[in-house]
Amino acid sequence: MMDTPNRSRDAASFLLARPRWLSLLSVLAAFGAWWGITAFALVPAVLLPSPAEVAAAAVDILRNGYRETTLTENIASTLWRCGAGFLLAIVTGVPLGLAMGYWPRIRAATNYIVQFMRPLPPLSYVILLIIWIGTDNRSKIALLYITAFPIIASSAMAGVRSVSQQRVQAARALGASQWQVFRYVIWPSAMPLSFTGARIALAAAFSTVVAAELNAATDGLGWMVISASRFLRNDVIILGIILLGILGIALSALVVAIDRRVVHWRGIE
Amino acid sequence: MTEARAITQGRPRLPEWAITGVSVAVLIVAWVVATDGGFVDDLFMPSPSSLWSGFMDLVVDGYKSRTIWEHAGLSLERVLAGFVTGAIAGTVIGLAMGYNRVVEACFSPFVEFLRPLPQLAYLVLLIVWFGIGETAQIILLFLTAFPVSAIAAMDGVKSVSRQRVQVARSLGASDWQIFRFVVFPSALPEIFTGARLAIGVVYATLIAAEIIAGSTGLGWVILDAGRFLRSDYVFVGILAIGLMGLSLDYMLVAIEHRIVHWAGRY
Repeated sequence: MMDTPNRSRDAASFLLARPRWLSLLSVLAAFGAWWGITAFALVPAVLLPSPAEVAAAAVDILRNGYRETTLTENIASTLWRCGAGFLLAIVTGVPLGLAMGYWPRIRAATNYIVQFMRPLPPLSYVILLIIWIGTDNRSKIALLYITAFPIIASSAMAGVRSVSQQRVQAARALGASQWQVFRYVIWPSAMPLSFTGARIALAAAFSTVVAAELNAATDGLGWMVISASRFLRNDVIILGIILLGILGIALSALVVAIDRRVVHWRGIE
Repeated sequence: MTEARAITQGRPRLPEWAITGVSVAVLIVAWVVATDGGFVDDLFMPSPSSLWSGFMDLVVDGYKSRTIWEHAGLSLERVLAGFVTGAIAGTVIGLAMGYNRVVEACFSPFVEFLRPLPQLAYLVLLIVWFGIGETAQIILLFLTAFPVSAIAAMDGVKSVSRQRVQVARSLGASDWQIFRFVVFPSALPEIFTGARLAIGVVYATLIAAEIIAGSTGLGWVILDAGRFLRSDYVFVGILAIGLMGLSLDYMLVAIEHRIVHWAGRY
């Protein structure tokens, strides 16, 4: 009898030392609660399918697909749209942002456009894009591009502007050419902020991807979730939400990993 | 760098505001020529005059029995309801997460899961649960603001300097006093940064929510006008949404300057 408090204190300190286990426990508790609610039918089964039903839906969709599109196809097309829009935004936004940071005239001529676009909710111009481009994949990629572009351009600009003037002057005084100043002073100093911008932009593009798949899509995870809601397939909706969440976490982890490798000098200036 | 360039190149420079002005003027002229000159169909890009008459229509007659001010007011109400509840709940949980590792370990999986999740994905579920209407939208906005504020508050608490806490403790401060006079003020700038981020995301999500599950509000106006190919209304709606978003952000910045006037001055 004397052992119990001690043992529970041991268990507590064991868990305290290992926060990951505690997190796992908390996730398990949430799943337990979910299972309990469905098992004892506390809410109508139409509204909340049980974990087993969601797992069954996952297996079914993996094998047979959802409305003739397999799960891998859906994941692939969502990732493709996201990636295409994001990469286009990097390819165009980084040079423009660097130029905006470097040349005050270019900044003066373009900055107000970027700053107006940045806070504009992506869904507000989705209708315009459909009127302009149509309902195919291009308008979806364009939507994600416009979401990511102003974030990337502004952060690249901020990166250049954060470069210390002393360093630029020191390099110039030591005889560096314009290109050398850019390549060896401005670029490395602008990278950390540019990468932070890229991370935020990817997250924004990812959270817009479901909106992009709202209209006239025939594949993608967002399409799957929206289509499932029309048929009251809550198991598919929950499966889609779990997959999108995991994908979101994986994408941001990926960018953090790339950031660590590429911008390894971040924070040690 | 600018001075250096001016000296080395030795030519008089247009001031930057003039360049911005020229750039705006060029855009406007291009817009007028393209639309009134008949190069671009009115459907793709309304001309300035039809944009203006569209605006007057929306202000005077309104859109589907409500004026644009009423739609904007409804949108604003939803944003504030979702943002205030979500930011307060998120900040409280975030402060606890920063303070206590057990709380952090228990909540962080859910916060980390919610944060990158596209909001529309769970809106669909909320609509099934609560039906199309205010409840689903406000819960959606709550869930949008919550993780952003929680993470900001947690980071804020974690960034508090240990020395300060130890100094306060060695001077005999109680736990509550340490929280009230050391931790909370140090975390407040980050909490406000989080609030600004949160209101931006909440606003973007609201427009999405109104497009899917609304029958009022600025987002819905755009969607509905788009269905009838009234691109003049769509443009007015986008401009109104942009301006309202900017003013929400300015409002928060103004509050931030008043309350966290010590930010950046340590």
